[in-house]
Amino acid sequence: MRTPYNASNILLPEHAENKQPAVEMDPVEYTLRKRLPRKLPKRRNDVYVNMKTDFRAQLARCQKLLEGGGHREICVHGLGLAINRAINIALQLQASSQGALQLAANTSTVELVDDLEPEDPDEAGEPMTRTRNNSAIHIKVFYPDPQ
Amino acid sequence: MENGVIPGTCAVYQGQTHSNAGQPAVVNVSSPLKPAPLPIPPPALKLGQEGFKKVCRTEEDSPCPFPGLASGVLEMRVKEGSKIRNLMGFAMARMQGEKGVSGGGVTGGGLRQVVFTGSGRAVTKTITCAEIMKRKVGSLHQLTKLQYKVVKEVWESTEGGTSEMTVHRTVPSISILLSKDPLDPQEPGYQPPETLSALWEEKEGVESASQKTCKRPLGPLPYSSFTHCKRMCLGEGVSVLPPQ
Repeated sequence: MRTPYNASNILLPEHAENKQPAVEMDPVEYTLRKRLPRKLPKRRNDVYVNMKTDFRAQLARCQKLLEGGGHREICVHGLGLAINRAINIALQLQASSQGALQLAANTSTVELVDDLEPEDPDEAGEPMTRTRNNSAIHIKVFYPDPQ
Repeated sequence: MENGVIPGTCAVYQGQTHSNAGQPAVVNVSSPLKPAPLPIPPPALKLGQEGFKKVCRTEEDSPCPFPGLASGVLEMRVKEGSKIRNLMGFAMARMQGEKGVSGGGVTGGGLRQVVFTGSGRAVTKTITCAEIMKRKVGSLHQLTKLQYKVVKEVWESTEGGTSEMTVHRTVPSISILLSKDPLDPQEPGYQPPETLSALWEEKEGVESASQKTCKRPLGPLPYSSFTHCKRMCLGEGVSVLPPQ
C-alpha cells in the first residue's frame, strides 16, 4: 500500500455521492479505476503487506521492527490477495523466534470504492462509483508479557 | 473474494445443498488423511517440467487449533474451488436450524458453533465466508488461529514409473471459530461480536490506549507520533475524501 495507484490522484470527490451499485454497464465504454482503501491507521509498528513489494523485503522489515526497532508488538495487515502473504509473514516471524512470538489474528471486511469513468468524454456516459467488499486480516505479532 | 456478490438468500441453493449435504462439511472426527478432491494445479516446483507427475496429495493431521472444543462442531473445510454460495447455503441452514435439518447436536435454534478452515489459496475465501456469516447471523464471537499445515505430495516419474518422490510442503492455513456462546476474551485472536467495520477505527483507540498503559519506553508519545504519521500518509496521495 506504500505505492499508490496512479488512479488515486485523479479522484473526483463530487462523484462520490452517485452510488449506483446495481447498474448494468457496457464494459467497453468505462474504465474501472480502483481507489485505495481509505483510512488506514499508520503507527510505527503497523505493516501493510502488499503484493508488489518483494516478500523477503517485507519480512525483513518486520524482523527489523521487532528486533532492532525495539517494538514489543507489530501489527501486520493484509487485504484481499495479500492476506496469504500477511499470514505467511506472521508465521515466518513466529517460526524464526523459536516460539517467543505469539500471533493474534482478527478479520474484517473493508469497503472499497471503484470509479467508473467513461472512455469517451463526448458520449453521454456519466462517471459512476461502485462499492464492493473485500476481506482483510490484521495480525498482531507480539512477545507475550511474562506473567 | 467479494463479499457483496452473494445473493441475499440461501433459499435458492437449498435444494442443491441438501443433495450434497455430506460433502462440504466434514465433522471433526472423520479420517485425518483425506485425499484432496480438487485438481490442484502443479505448484511452482520444477518437478512438473522434469517428467514428474503428482499422483497423491495428503494433508497431514495438524493439531486442532481450538483445544477443548466439542467434537460435534460443524467444520467447514474451504477449498480453493469451493463455491461460497454452496458453503454458505449449507452452513447458514445449519446455524439457523431451518427446514428441519436433522443431525447430531441440532437443537431448536440450530448449531451454536461453526469452524471455517482453509489453507493456501483458500485462505481468503475462508475469511470471506466467516465475514459473511458474522454479518448475516449477527452477535457471533470469533476466534481466529493461524498455523502452518504440512502437505505431503507424492510425485511419480512419467517415464519410468518406478521412481517416486515425496515432497513435504508447508502452507499457511487459517481456522475461524464462530460461536453464539461467549468465548474466552483473553485468548489471542479473539474478536467480540459486532466489530465488523469498526475494527479499523477502533483498533487505533484500543491499541494506542494499551500502549499507553504499558508505558513503553520508546520514542515520543504514541498519540503524537501516530497523528503525525497519519498526516504524512494522507499527504502521500491516498484518498482524501471525507468519510461518508
